[in-house]
Amino acid sequence: MIDGEEREEVRRLLVGMLGEEKVLWRAADTVLYRKDTYRIPFESDYEYAPDLVVLPETSDEVREVVRLASERRIPLIPKGGGSNRTGMLVPIHGGIIVDTIKMDGIMELNHRDLHVTAQTGVTLKKLEEYLNEHGFTLTQEQGSHRMATVGGAISTSAFSRKNQKHGTIANRVMSLEVVLADGRKLRTGPKVLYTSTGIGLHHLFIGAEGTLGIVTEATLRVEPLPEERDMVLAFFDDFWRANDAAQRLMSSCVTFTGGEAYEAADAESLGAPEGKKGLFYVGLDGTRGEVEAEREYVRGIVRELGGVIADEEHTRAYMDRYTEQWCGARVETRFEDVLTTYVPMDRIEEFYDRLWGDIMKRHGIRPIPGDRYGLDVGRYKMVGGRYKVPEGADGWREYQAALEEVATLATELGGSISSCHGVGIQHKENIRLEYTEVALDVMRGIKRILDPENIMNPGKKLPDDVGSP
Amino acid sequence: MTDPSTQADDVGEMMEAVSESCVYCRCGCCKDGCPVYEEVLEESMSPKGRNELIRAVLKGIVEPDERAMRIAYSCLLCRRDEESCGARLKNSEAVEQFRAFLLRRGLEMLPEHRDLANSLRNYGNPWGQARSSRKRWASAATWSQRAPQPGSNLLFVGCTFALDRSLLATPRAVASIMDKTGGSFQVMLEDEVCCGSTIKRIGEERMFSELRKANCESILFSGARRVVTPCSGCYKTIAQDYGDMLQGVEVMHSTQYILEVLRSQRLRVAGLDATVTYHDPCHLGRYAGIYDEPREILGFISGLSLVEMRNSRELSMCCGGGGGVKTAYGDLSLRVARKRVREAERTGASILVTACPFCVQTLSAASESLDSSVTVEEISVLVDRLSADGGGGES
Repeated sequence: MIDGEEREEVRRLLVGMLGEEKVLWRAADTVLYRKDTYRIPFESDYEYAPDLVVLPETSDEVREVVRLASERRIPLIPKGGGSNRTGMLVPIHGGIIVDTIKMDGIMELNHRDLHVTAQTGVTLKKLEEYLNEHGFTLTQEQGSHRMATVGGAISTSAFSRKNQKHGTIANRVMSLEVVLADGRKLRTGPKVLYTSTGIGLHHLFIGAEGTLGIVTEATLRVEPLPEERDMVLAFFDDFWRANDAAQRLMSSCVTFTGGEAYEAADAESLGAPEGKKGLFYVGLDGTRGEVEAEREYVRGIVRELGGVIADEEHTRAYMDRYTEQWCGARVETRFEDVLTTYVPMDRIEEFYDRLWGDIMKRHGIRPIPGDRYGLDVGRYKMVGGRYKVPEGADGWREYQAALEEVATLATELGGSISSCHGVGIQHKENIRLEYTEVALDVMRGIKRILDPENIMNPGKKLPDDVGSP
Repeated sequence: MTDPSTQADDVGEMMEAVSESCVYCRCGCCKDGCPVYEEVLEESMSPKGRNELIRAVLKGIVEPDERAMRIAYSCLLCRRDEESCGARLKNSEAVEQFRAFLLRRGLEMLPEHRDLANSLRNYGNPWGQARSSRKRWASAATWSQRAPQPGSNLLFVGCTFALDRSLLATPRAVASIMDKTGGSFQVMLEDEVCCGSTIKRIGEERMFSELRKANCESILFSGARRVVTPCSGCYKTIAQDYGDMLQGVEVMHSTQYILEVLRSQRLRVAGLDATVTYHDPCHLGRYAGIYDEPREILGFISGLSLVEMRNSRELSMCCGGGGGVKTAYGDLSLRVARKRVREAERTGASILVTACPFCVQTLSAASESLDSSVTVEEISVLVDRLSADGGGGES
């Protein structure tokens, strides 16, 4: 936190750079920046607060803000759509939130070389709509699609349900513009998909959670819109039977876009026959003939394993509701959290047995009905679950202990603590389980080179011994 | 999914329930499609941002000030966000209550709104015009003057249609249609006072109660069994916010009346060779569920081709004229309206038809400022000019 006098001085300087309207300082404006969707104890909702919030519109404005913060060693927290779930936006050391949502320009769509260049505050939805109007698609489709920004997706290395065929946003980044902690503007490389020159600097900023710089512009690979897209939605007796189908599909040659298998609480409302709780869906896109052939192939797997294929009406409805599942979900479940653990496919059963049969049970944490089992079908290997977090101080301690045990389990099985929600403050100590001391040391070194004063989102992503301001 | 906003009986509690639920979730999906947020790109001026503010004020974390007032009054109350919210939180109602709460706590009304309130107090309308101006629309009447009869229809014109000189064609058209089709009907002329919609949206509860009482007494005294109004705001307010104070009186929007007389063939309309798009006023659509009636009316016009905008019916974007935003944030209101006109342009329509005085005002101004090829026309004016017996007077 900066003291009152300096805060006022910094505010005046920022107003001089950006104008009155792009500097927020009154409590009525800044209150919403105190927290993201991370489940810190609800009673601690207002524990942290930013000193100031800025809403730059250009990378030059970002650069001016960064220079000022660098001179005065003020923490900077870059923000996109604000949907993060691990606390990477929580201003635990105060500082200035750099809200990028006004940086929503789309500069260039290259039809022949198949890439788009945009400012990073543009939402994935707005960018996708723009691309669709011109016959292209980014193929990045995540639950928070409607409000998540390009910068946020890059900085968390976000999930896409089309990952199997099209990769995630991490695979779409060709070149980035980044404002570094000393105020210099870095262009990571040429706007090309493949090059064997230089060191691939853009990789450093994918999933960096704003700890290495502020990504202000991105050039991303796009694809022509497919001629056809479809889905196979099927129901099985339970999750494990759906998982059998998922495993069979993954060993097939079908190039599906992505899919999930999970235990659905509302399976009947989705068209499942009574008693069928295991849901399995697979997305397909491509030429019409390709999609038709693959659909029949997948249906064959489902039938062979005793699944029931949903009718067209339910399948269409399900395709459209994907991004709605995430929205508003916590209004009903209240104090909940979610696992996005990466687990090798041959260890899923063991993982779930120990997760629900031992760890969570011991700590008094119960799964939310319909969210006990979940598997991202494909190379992503996200194995998840949602659960009620026990309330109160004791509950919080139990929860933290449980998370550490889950992290230990996931890493022992050869997986990862979080496949797409990042580290933030939630997992920053637990990632020691996942990386060797050498790996952590290299990360520390990169952080020191790019952000020697540790002003870029301090206290996030890396364990505390990397240093706090 | 249970609707958390309906779990609280008391209206004040709803504000608390909605903000609490929203802050538990914090997804921010409400920003998708919120006309104000999409223009200003400031999260504090989104439904999520306002809910965060409401909760923090209720918990004593934030002391409401002039800035909090500005944020509270940045909402169009259009309810578009509810279509984006998976939990369908009633954010607009929460904001309306929050405004009343802030005024009760002694915060100063925005200066732009103070003028409206003073005018209502002095003249019974928010637009600073003498009570006698209210009968201006009837001065060029071609409809026959008949003595009011108990049980007849009452035409409730509303302040904006009655007092904006550019909108007088609408009450004249509705009167003309009612005259041609319904026999006797009553008008209150200078005895009509504001329905209270504007002041209710601003949060001045006491003045709203007074206006409601005055109108209810006049309507009940008239003996009319049916109130017909062309104003979407008046319709929403009288039908939904007057509660049971008008028992035994049916409240109709003019589109419902016109459809009824078209269906019963008491009114016939000529054809029109034009491509038309329809803009759903928020108070008529999302608040009252009247989506089909205006479209069915347009369906009676042979040769007319109705094309929908990308956002229509439940997803319709606000015209920018709602919730007191036009008065407090004129530039923002115009930007929202321009966006809607551009959406209409993309349909290829030459006429943008709507059914609300505020929508006509804002969209016409936007169309003019853009030098748009789309002209804005109020639906009863369109119907009347195509009806067999000609128009309802000069505009």
